Amino acid sequence: MADTPILTIEGLNVLYGDYQVLWDVSMQVGQGEVVAVLGPNGSGKSTVLKAIMGLAPAKSGKVMFEGRDITRVPTHEMVSLGISMVLERRRLFSAMTVRENVLLGAYHHSVSKDARRQLEWVESLFPILAERRDQVAGKMSGGEQQMVAIARSLMSKPRLLLMDEPYLGLAPRIVKQIGEIITRINQDGIAVIFNEQNVQLSFGLSNHGYLLEGGRVVLSGTGDEMIHSDVIRRVYLGV
Amino acid sequence: MTFSLLIEQIINGLIIGSMYALIGSGLALVYGTMRVLNLAHGEFYMLGGYFVFFLAVTYGVPSYLAIPVAIVATFILGMLIQRLTIHYLMGKEGWQFSTIAATLGLSIFLQNAALLMFGEQFESVPYYLNGVIEIGSIRLPLQRLLIFVVAIVTIGAMTFILKKTRLGWAIRATAQDRDAAAVVGIPAERIYLITFGLAGALGAIAAAMLAPIYAINPWSGLPILLKGFVVVILGGLGSFPGAIAGGLLLGVVEAIGVQLTSSEWRDVIGFAMMIGVIWWRPWGLFGKKPT
Repeated sequence: MADTPILTIEGLNVLYGDYQVLWDVSMQVGQGEVVAVLGPNGSGKSTVLKAIMGLAPAKSGKVMFEGRDITRVPTHEMVSLGISMVLERRRLFSAMTVRENVLLGAYHHSVSKDARRQLEWVESLFPILAERRDQVAGKMSGGEQQMVAIARSLMSKPRLLLMDEPYLGLAPRIVKQIGEIITRINQDGIAVIFNEQNVQLSFGLSNHGYLLEGGRVVLSGTGDEMIHSDVIRRVYLGV
Repeated sequence: MTFSLLIEQIINGLIIGSMYALIGSGLALVYGTMRVLNLAHGEFYMLGGYFVFFLAVTYGVPSYLAIPVAIVATFILGMLIQRLTIHYLMGKEGWQFSTIAATLGLSIFLQNAALLMFGEQFESVPYYLNGVIEIGSIRLPLQRLLIFVVAIVTIGAMTFILKKTRLGWAIRATAQDRDAAAVVGIPAERIYLITFGLAGALGAIAAAMLAPIYAINPWSGLPILLKGFVVVILGGLGSFPGAIAGGLLLGVVEAIGVQLTSSEWRDVIGFAMMIGVIWWRPWGLFGKKPT
């Protein structure tokens, strides 16, 4: 199984109403890899992650997780397979406390029995969780909320973590911290696929990237290959 | 108005207000969790009342058994109704309007079904408790005390469920962010089903407690629904604690207002208060101002 990619997307088409957002998108995430999905605003990079998770409807195409077709698996069953997600703009349960938010990450019965142990682990990653456990999540700063969101997503012991714009709206200092956390959880064996507009930022972390433009994959490769590609320059700078 | 009369009216207001609170909290629970304005909520009350009547009066089941059975029956009916109607509309295009239309239709359907099956006569249930307690100059019938105790226990139980149980966490999480809840493994559809069941049960509890005072007929849900609206608007639409506070407040203001005027003014007082709140604090007396 070591060579089976943890995630394979084949020919994915996604429509919102009559409007096609993704056109025949194919991607792969290898075991233990960090993959970046790049692209300007509106290129469909968020939709790729949403479609994997079942939050955006796939019209055709296939999403395979560890060799198993998960295209029609409902969102609320994904954690039981080993897939978790940090949603764009954190999306915490803002009226609930930090502790409640984090524990809800282990809500599904398939993972709830290990909640105690997972909690210890995520609190070692983010000491702030224990310090602020009774604070209402909505009252925290953006960076703190992002940590709670990542902690929540890790509570289900995922093997694959989807992160939708993990850096969005965060101060540079926090961006660096989040980057270190991503590296750290990847070292613990969790494969990560995330999207980001900033190419430089993305390749500090990832082994591999895909560039989307207008809902199509126009380039893929390693960080070096992509940074020096003319396509990147064209898409981002319009030259 | 003498002081002891004022106290008596406040107590009466709290007692009837505790029932308004139960009605309002059912509406608030459904709206808060699903963003569905349930115009058939009064019919949960009406059907719950009939269940109690048939069990306790027609079949002579002792009331301490008849009431729990009626509550469970209405809980199940609430889930069934959700599954057969609202379930198909949630998340579809225009669901915010279509669910209102559907629950309005459901309300009319259930009223007429009740008319057809049970007839138009007014039914009533004997008092569960007789006797009066006197504290100083205030006389309090035990039946009314029972109403208040049941309301407090119910509100306490609901608060416990929402704050401390797995189901309660799932309901609150779904209410705050349906997608984020799905991502952590909470199936919104099942939560919606249970939420409707709980709203039905809350309506049935109020019906059981008020059946000995107000008669049951196919239309008895309508005035109750209107009270429920006043309560949730006072408390802030979708807020469970707001509905409790709104219910008690409405009860007390009505009781004192009626004492100062006359009983025909009861609804005028309640609705005037509601209009005032919509005007002055549209997010409710106890709700948070939206940012």
